Amino acid sequence: MSERGAAPPEVHSPLAGERAPVSPRADLVAAAVLLAFGLSVVALALRMPTFVEQSGTGLTAPGIVPGFHGTVIALLALVLGLRAVRRGALRDGGGAAGAGAPRREDALRLGFAAALGTLYAGFLIGRLPFWLATALFVFAFTAGFEWRHGAAGRPRRLLEAAAIALGTGWVVQFVFEELFLVRLP
Amino acid sequence: MLDALGMLGAGFAHVLQGGAAVHALWATLVGILVGALPGLTATMGVALLTTLTFSMDSSVALLVLVCVYVGAIYGGSRSAILLNIPGTPASAASTLDGYPLARQGLAGRAMGISTAGSWLGTLFGALCLALFAPVIGEYALEFQSYEMFWVAMFGIVIAGSLSGGDPLKGYIAGFLGLFVATIGQEANHAYPRFAFGSTDLAGGLGLLPVLVGVFGVAEVLSAMRGPAVRAVSSKIDSVVPRIRDVLRYWRTILRSGALGTFVGAMPGLGEDIAAWTSYAAARRASREAEQFGKGSVEGLMAAETGESACVPGAIIPVLTLAVPGSAPAAVLMAAMMIHGLNPGPMLAITTPEFIYQIVAMLILADMVKLVYGLVLVRPLLWVLLIPRERLMPVVFVLCCVGAFAITSRLFDVWVMLGAGLVGFVLRELRFPMAPLVLGIVLGDLLDKNLLRGLVLSGGDVTPFFTRPISAALAALVALMFLMSVPPVNAWVTRRMREALGALRRRPV
Repeated sequence: MSERGAAPPEVHSPLAGERAPVSPRADLVAAAVLLAFGLSVVALALRMPTFVEQSGTGLTAPGIVPGFHGTVIALLALVLGLRAVRRGALRDGGGAAGAGAPRREDALRLGFAAALGTLYAGFLIGRLPFWLATALFVFAFTAGFEWRHGAAGRPRRLLEAAAIALGTGWVVQFVFEELFLVRLP
Repeated sequence: MLDALGMLGAGFAHVLQGGAAVHALWATLVGILVGALPGLTATMGVALLTTLTFSMDSSVALLVLVCVYVGAIYGGSRSAILLNIPGTPASAASTLDGYPLARQGLAGRAMGISTAGSWLGTLFGALCLALFAPVIGEYALEFQSYEMFWVAMFGIVIAGSLSGGDPLKGYIAGFLGLFVATIGQEANHAYPRFAFGSTDLAGGLGLLPVLVGVFGVAEVLSAMRGPAVRAVSSKIDSVVPRIRDVLRYWRTILRSGALGTFVGAMPGLGEDIAAWTSYAAARRASREAEQFGKGSVEGLMAAETGESACVPGAIIPVLTLAVPGSAPAAVLMAAMMIHGLNPGPMLAITTPEFIYQIVAMLILADMVKLVYGLVLVRPLLWVLLIPRERLMPVVFVLCCVGAFAITSRLFDVWVMLGAGLVGFVLRELRFPMAPLVLGIVLGDLLDKNLLRGLVLSGGDVTPFFTRPISAALAALVALMFLMSVPPVNAWVTRRMREALGALRRRPV
C-alpha cells in the first residue's frame, strides 16, 4: 500500500451508490406501504382509551401524539406516491433499474449476510454458549464470503477463518465480561 | 470570565483525575480506527461504546464517548485521502482534494493538513462551546412546553430538509422516528401504546438497540452487498503539518471553524453538511478556486476544519436544549441520560460545571488526536485494508453484545436486528437516517411538551403560535417546510433574484 506501483488492494466503499436515485416504481411501493402503515397507526391510536374520567378534558389521551404522527406519515406518503406517479411509476419502464437497484450478485451477498445475521442474533444467541454461537457465526460468515475466491488457497483461508472465529469468541467474552463487566447473552 | 476560566480549570482537574488520560488514549484510538474503517461510522462507534461503558463511572464513560466521537470524525479523513473512500460520511468532502493530493505523491502532506485542520477545528468549536453554551442555556430557561415542542419540531424539519437531498423522504424518516419513540408506556396514564399485549413492547423500544441496529447492522449489510473496488496506493511523505499551510490559510480556518460550529449547533445537520458548507464557502472566497477538486490545500483544510468544529458545535444544543446537533451527538445525549445527567436548559442551573467538563474532554481528545495524527500512519494503513469479510462479522457480534448489554434482555437483540433490517431497506430507498435518529431521540420531548402545553392552555392551541419565541420558531418551521416544496422554492428564489437585481440597478 505504501509503495507506489504496488498492486492496489481491494477496498469496499460503503458510500458507493449512496446518491444514486431509486426508480419511481420503488418509491410508489414504498409510498403504498407507508400509507398503509400511517393509516394503521391512526386506526390504532383512535382505538386507544381517552381517560376523560381521569383528566377531565381528554387532552392527555395516549392516542393524540401517535395519531398525529400517523396522520403526517400517511399524508407525506400520499405526496410521495403522487410524485412517483408523476415521475412515471405507472408507465412502462417506470420500474427500470436505477443505478442503486441491486444486481443478482449483490442480492445474493446481501441475502447471505442477512440470513446469517438473523440466524445468529435471532436463534443462536441465548440457545448456545455465547463463545460458541459467535465462533460459528464468524466462521460461517468469513468462510462463506471467501468461498468465491476460488479453490487456490482455500484450505488456508478456512483455517484462518476458524482461527478468527475462535479468537473472536474468546476475546469478546474475555474483554466484555472481565474488563468491561458487561453481561453477555 | 474569571469564573468561566476557573470552572474550565476545575473541569480539566475533574476529567484528568484517576488515570482518565489512559482512557482518553485508547478511546481516541478506537475512534480513529472506527472512523477510518470504511463501513463503520462515528454514530455506530459512539452507540457501541455507550452500551459497553455503561458500567463505568459517568465522567469516565462520557470521556470515552467524546474521545470516540472526536477520533472517529478525524479518522474518516485517512481513508478519504488514501483510498478515496470517506471512512465516515463526514469525510466525503475531504476526498475531493485529499485524494488528488495523495495521487500527486503528497499523501503525507495531505494528512498533515487534515491533522492541523481537524485539530484547530475542534479546538475552535470547543472554545465556542465554552463561550456560548452557558449563555444559550440561560436563554433556554425561558422556554416552556410550547417552545420546546417547536424546538423538537424544528429539529425534525431542518434535519429532514437538509440531511438527505430529498426533503420529503427526510420528513417521513423523521416522523417514523417520532413514531418509534411513542411505542411503550406513555407518561400520563402509563398506557402501553402499540404493545399488543407484550410486556417487552410495553417497556418501549430501547433507543440504543434501535440505533445500533440502524447504524450497525444496516451498515454491515450495506458493506457486504456491493462488489469491492480497487484502491489506489500512494507513497507516504512527511505527515508533520506545515506551519506555513496553517498561517497562509488562517482566514479559511477561522471561517470554516465558525461555519462548522454553527452547522453543528443546528439540530440534526451534522458533520457531513458542516464539511460541505465550509468547503463551498472556502471555494467561493478563495483566490485559487480553480485548484479546488484538483488537490487544493485550502479545500482540504476547509473541509477538515469544518467537520471537526462541528463536533463541539453539535454538543451545544445537547447541553442547552436537550436537542442533538448530529446523529453521534444524539447517541451521546442518550448516554448522558443513561448516566443520570439530564442535558437541557436545567443543566446551567443544576450542574453548570458539567459544560466545562465536556469542554475539557473535547480539548483532551483533540490533543490525543493530534499526537496520533503525527505518529499513527503506517499501522493505520494495515488496519484500513482488513478485508470486509473478516471485519464485518466481528462488527455484527459487537452490535449484538452492545444491544444486549444495557438491560440484559434478548428482546433488545431482536429489536436491534429488526431495526437493522428496516433501516437497511429505508437506506436503500434513500430515506436519510439522521432525521430518523433525531425523531427517535426527540420523540419523548415532543410528546410530553405537546400534551403538557395543551393541558396548560386547556386545549387551546393559540399559545403555540402567539408567544413570541413560539411564534418565531413556528414561522421558521413553516418557512423550512415551504422552502422544501419545489414550486415555492423556485418562486421565492426568483423573487429574491429580482429584488437583488433591482437593488443593483438602482442609481446611487
